[in-house]
Amino acid sequence: MQSATKFLKSYPALAIIAVLLTGFSLLSPFFLTIGNVEAMLGANAVVLIAAVGMTVVFLAGGIDLSISTVISVSAVASGLVMAATDNVALGAATAVIVGFGFGALNGLLIGYFRMTPFITTMATGLIARGLAFVFSSGIAVRGTPYWMLDFGFMVWFGIPAVMVIALLIVILSGTAMARTTWGRHVMLVGSNEAAARFSGINVPFTTFSVYLFAGTLGGVAGFISIANLGNAIPGVGDTLLLIIIGAVVLGGTGMTGGEGSVERTILGVAILAMLTNGLNLIGIPFYDQLIIQGILIFLGTWMAMKLGTRRES
Amino acid sequence: MTDNAPSLSVRNLTKTFGDKTVVSDLAFDLHPGEVLALVGENGAGKSTTKNMLCGLLLPTSGQISVAGQPVERVSPTGHGISAVHQELSLFGSLSVAENICISDLPGSAARVKWDQAEQIAREQIDFLGIEIDPRALIETLGAGKQQVVEIAKALLHADRVLILDEPTTSLTAVEREKLFAIIDKLKAGGLSIIFISHFMEEIYRVCDSFVVLRDGKQVGQGKLADVSQRTLEEMMVGRTLEDARVALGSPSQSPALEVRGLTSPDFHDVNLTVHRGEILGIAGLMGAGRTELAEAIFGLRHATGDVLIDGKPVARNVTAMKANGLCYVTEDRRTNGLFLNRPVRENLSAAAIAKYVRRAMRGIGFRGEKAKSAEMVDEMNIAIPHIENHVSDLSGGNQQKVLLGRWLSMEPEILIFDEPTKGVDIGAKFDIHEAIAELARSGKTVLIVSSDLPELLHITHRLLVMRKGRIVGEVQRENYDSVAIISMAASSGEEVSNVA
Repeated sequence: MQSATKFLKSYPALAIIAVLLTGFSLLSPFFLTIGNVEAMLGANAVVLIAAVGMTVVFLAGGIDLSISTVISVSAVASGLVMAATDNVALGAATAVIVGFGFGALNGLLIGYFRMTPFITTMATGLIARGLAFVFSSGIAVRGTPYWMLDFGFMVWFGIPAVMVIALLIVILSGTAMARTTWGRHVMLVGSNEAAARFSGINVPFTTFSVYLFAGTLGGVAGFISIANLGNAIPGVGDTLLLIIIGAVVLGGTGMTGGEGSVERTILGVAILAMLTNGLNLIGIPFYDQLIIQGILIFLGTWMAMKLGTRRES
Repeated sequence: MTDNAPSLSVRNLTKTFGDKTVVSDLAFDLHPGEVLALVGENGAGKSTTKNMLCGLLLPTSGQISVAGQPVERVSPTGHGISAVHQELSLFGSLSVAENICISDLPGSAARVKWDQAEQIAREQIDFLGIEIDPRALIETLGAGKQQVVEIAKALLHADRVLILDEPTTSLTAVEREKLFAIIDKLKAGGLSIIFISHFMEEIYRVCDSFVVLRDGKQVGQGKLADVSQRTLEEMMVGRTLEDARVALGSPSQSPALEVRGLTSPDFHDVNLTVHRGEILGIAGLMGAGRTELAEAIFGLRHATGDVLIDGKPVARNVTAMKANGLCYVTEDRRTNGLFLNRPVRENLSAAAIAKYVRRAMRGIGFRGEKAKSAEMVDEMNIAIPHIENHVSDLSGGNQQKVLLGRWLSMEPEILIFDEPTKGVDIGAKFDIHEAIAELARSGKTVLIVSSDLPELLHITHRLLVMRKGRIVGEVQRENYDSVAIISMAASSGEEVSNVA
């Protein structure tokens, strides 16, 4: 019993999930149906993948405001390539390369040229958004191969395929963070950059690598968004930034660096996913939902601050 | 002394931080026109005293009286007491006039009367007898003129007591003389001055009386005319290390670490050699360039010159130094040493983590990290319930041991320690001294930078004295004399002396 409270204390997000789960299943008979759960899982793969990238950047003590529009531009680029070649693999590669490119640009500017993450990624984010609209002339890219549409509805092991991919990314990233020197270096740079430098850790490279990682995952998320929506939409990432950051923070990863984990972010994504889905089911209008989302992020962060990341001594 | 009330009178003045007493039971009087020297070693409590007197810190107990009136809380502008702090506190991008009048700009909040501010500034500066344009920006002035602006600014509110904290450290000889002339002038005008300095010549040049602090206690006071410089220095150093002797081994003759002509903006043409099994200390005042030198040797700072390990030149970057068995234990464990919100285990393995990677599993997982960390916890005698506890939960002494353990787990051949026992309790200090001595006994090479002179005298074979970026003296253990070393570190002459 005591260890159960301890567990809950270090994962306050679980308490919120429990409340949402009970609440919505009482309020709506559809909430826990297989169809609805599948829809929730499928619709949130993009957010989860991008949130994993953002988590790693947070753990290193940075922020990547460009990740949402990197999703858009890589989706558009991928969509255009697929429309022209009808080759899904080529499309996937395009999305990843575009994300990689933006990540490398951010990493170079922040890691090696010592620019502020906030301003730098805000600027590259603007560029990404602009490019997404310029390339697509502002409308959805038509001519997506049929396989992509099917892919969006595929179910592997009872879970939508896109979510399986997202979960694989979580597992791989979590392992990398916990069990490789790269992951350890990221945590230590986030905890104390000067101490990392004094310990002989290559701080510029480590910083570069987290933005590269986040950008690449932005590219993957962009590709997945085409499977979800059926088309590459230039504005797909526009509303995602705050959801991504909210999910990371709700999961219990702080913005100060060195505290939190990739796995925690699943919980944050789950909270926001259930909230949106549940509120839709019981007919709460979109703008009212924003208010509730805001309050919940505030509450969750406050709880995490009070209990979550505090060590029980 | 009975002709008028003292401008400043202090009784039983005490300051504690938590359970640590920093200043206890100070008592002295300061009369109009008197210049008092406040002297003591680094950490003796001079700054705390200064901060209490000028109202930056509230005393824990005791009384401060200004012109015979007890004062509840010294206000920065209301009691005629002002301080010029060691680090200049001017706004570089503002004009001289703005800086001088910053706390009370003439005119209204909506409209400052600039001509009036300039007038005030001009009067202040003219009074000090130095040519400075009140409209000039501070950043365009040299260090000497900036110091004058600081004094002019302080004088605006100091009609009774002016406190000068190490006012000459950044001044040239000519500027220093100008400053002394200003002090003489202020003194003649009836202002009382408290002069804090490490430089004995300066103290004898400008001061009338003195108060000596050691470990926060007032260990001497009186007229400077009655004491020799030697007596004063002995009062400052005073204590002998009361903890047990450490057994120092005998160093070999083979050089392990050699520094050749290392030069940077902070130090000049440094040459030194440390032999295997030797503990070499570098003494000097704050700002002498010791930390900068240590960081440059380890490759954390740009410098020109060579570092040789076992006779072979090594590229000055942290990776190469680590690979050649050199490590550097930083002075400031909280700023650039520890990862406070990470577990003790990760802090211990931070420098060596690559060694634990399991090649067989393609770099996944750290074999032996836990075991090695637990072993270091035992070896270093670190008091923690578990190696997964966060370092922020540990006391200063245990934190320092974690930092030390991080580098010892690298099994280095050469260790550079910067202030190895700063802010740790006496028990931990003993453990750390013993660990350092044991390293040297087992054939490792040690270089220690410390402001704690008794510590250096206690655990080193040989000392180099550094002053203003240069090595100015070398002393062998059999010739250790703290008073001579202090005067070598603080003397304002530029000649190289050799006591050995």
